[in-house]
Amino acid sequence: MNVARRLLGLLWLAGALVLAAGTAQAHPHVWITATSELIYAPDGAITGVRHAWTFDDMFSTYALQGIETKTKGVYSREELSSLAQTNVESLKEFKFFTFAKADGKKEKFEEPVDYFLEYKDAALTLHFTLPLKTPLKSKELALEVFDPEFFIDFKFADKDPVRLVGAPAACQMKFQRPNDGSANAQKLGEQTFLSGENSNFGMMFANKITVECP
Amino acid sequence: MTPKSPSRFMHGLAICATAAIAILIFDGTMHVLLAQTPFGGPRPSAEPQVGGIVGWLLARQSEFYREMSSTIRAAKSDGSAVWTLLAISFAYGIFHAAGPGHGKAVISSYLVANQETARRGIVLSFASALMQSLVAVVIVAICAWLLNASAKTMCGAEKAIEILSYALIAAFGARLVWTKGGGFMRALQAPRPALAMASAGHGHGHGHDHHHHHDHDHGPDQHVHDEHGGHAHGPEPSELAGPGGWRRGFGAIFAVGIRPCSGAILVLVFALAQGLFWAGIAATFVMGLGTAITVAAIAVVAVSAKDLARRLSAGTEGGGTLVMRGVEFGAAGLVLLFGVGLLFGYLAAERVTCL
Repeated sequence: MNVARRLLGLLWLAGALVLAAGTAQAHPHVWITATSELIYAPDGAITGVRHAWTFDDMFSTYALQGIETKTKGVYSREELSSLAQTNVESLKEFKFFTFAKADGKKEKFEEPVDYFLEYKDAALTLHFTLPLKTPLKSKELALEVFDPEFFIDFKFADKDPVRLVGAPAACQMKFQRPNDGSANAQKLGEQTFLSGENSNFGMMFANKITVECP
Repeated sequence: MTPKSPSRFMHGLAICATAAIAILIFDGTMHVLLAQTPFGGPRPSAEPQVGGIVGWLLARQSEFYREMSSTIRAAKSDGSAVWTLLAISFAYGIFHAAGPGHGKAVISSYLVANQETARRGIVLSFASALMQSLVAVVIVAICAWLLNASAKTMCGAEKAIEILSYALIAAFGARLVWTKGGGFMRALQAPRPALAMASAGHGHGHGHDHHHHHDHDHGPDQHVHDEHGGHAHGPEPSELAGPGGWRRGFGAIFAVGIRPCSGAILVLVFALAQGLFWAGIAATFVMGLGTAITVAAIAVVAVSAKDLARRLSAGTEGGGTLVMRGVEFGAAGLVLLFGVGLLFGYLAAERVTCL
């Protein structure tokens, strides 16, 4: 008689608990406006990625807390060097939010080089270069920049978000923003979405750079 | 008393239901766990893509949060902007609590495990949110304002507090599992006739079941039985209202509340840098108030869902007890799981701002 009702009640309870746990999804606290350059060697192999990440107003202020300067409100590159050091060290834990795949195979990055911070218009910009462990020539290179936990919202700059530096002339670059039309089109086509590589949900909010060199 | 065969049927049903709950809880937990796979595995679904209410909430809170910095800047020259700041902070707090951290899951599970009332759920939610705000203000006041420490030092302090909080939640959960496990095992092992007898005669089995068969269980004598019997069936409502119950509640408040919200710390440091620390403090507490409302709402859902489950399972002799003890045990296990999961990084919590 009330078997169904009883079960329903129990499920609701479980549902409430799961809801309590399941809503635990992150949302951004830090916003980064990014530009990236893909660096190629003269022989046509990609050697690494050079990022320039500009932090939002609030985080920039937070990061500058406690940093001594000669002139108030003016931060030189030297005065910011220890903060830049901290930044790249912390970013290591998050794999620099940069994920590369060459012809479908994951590629690793070395420790960052040439890193520095710049303070302009009340915002900090972190510049750093991520060298690939092994420079490579691949037919297809996919590079994603995003925070899987979405604590940081990566938005590529409107103007010149991604540039190829020294790439062979035949290489074609495609850049896909998380919210642009192509992503939505993918979502609409449920068949393609559920099959194969498109079933990876995370792609939907990654900034995806694809370079094809025939 | 119910005839033997249907009651056995109910008993079986109760066990099935317990199993179903266990599976559901496990499933939910696994979703949370799997959502953390950094690369390759299933990632959390794309927030910007999430539709419906959740997507709307996530979109709003980002907006509110981003407006905070501009409003604090505006408040430097225009005092009335502080009111806007407070309004934004309040709204942000309400939406923000839907995100990770803030102890929703821990508080809800604790309430279910511990036979708590909705009223106490609300009190616990507000107290822990207040403590979170307080801790955020104290950290920034000491680190940034008094010591002028760097963001790195502050993040170190936050991380230490975070670990302490998770360890406390785990310890708290372990203690709950210990207590609730005893009650569950007893309910599990108790032979059916003995239980039926117990509920009819001694009244220690169904202390909380508002069931017509057990009208005589609700008298004051039931409490007496529990006192000298020393049964581990979970605290009786009367016991909870006592000082011991509240002390247990403080454990939950402390374990959850000691970890401040990263967002509040950012806002406070930003306000301090603008020379408007007091506005940041006000915003933090108003944010905490908003957070408390959301956490309290979820806590009330959990408590009332449990009440419903209790009413529905009350029809089963003994089995009802088994189901409820099982639910409590499961919820206690969930608190432990949250603590351990957070401590070892399997579970997502709001990240500490360390870059």
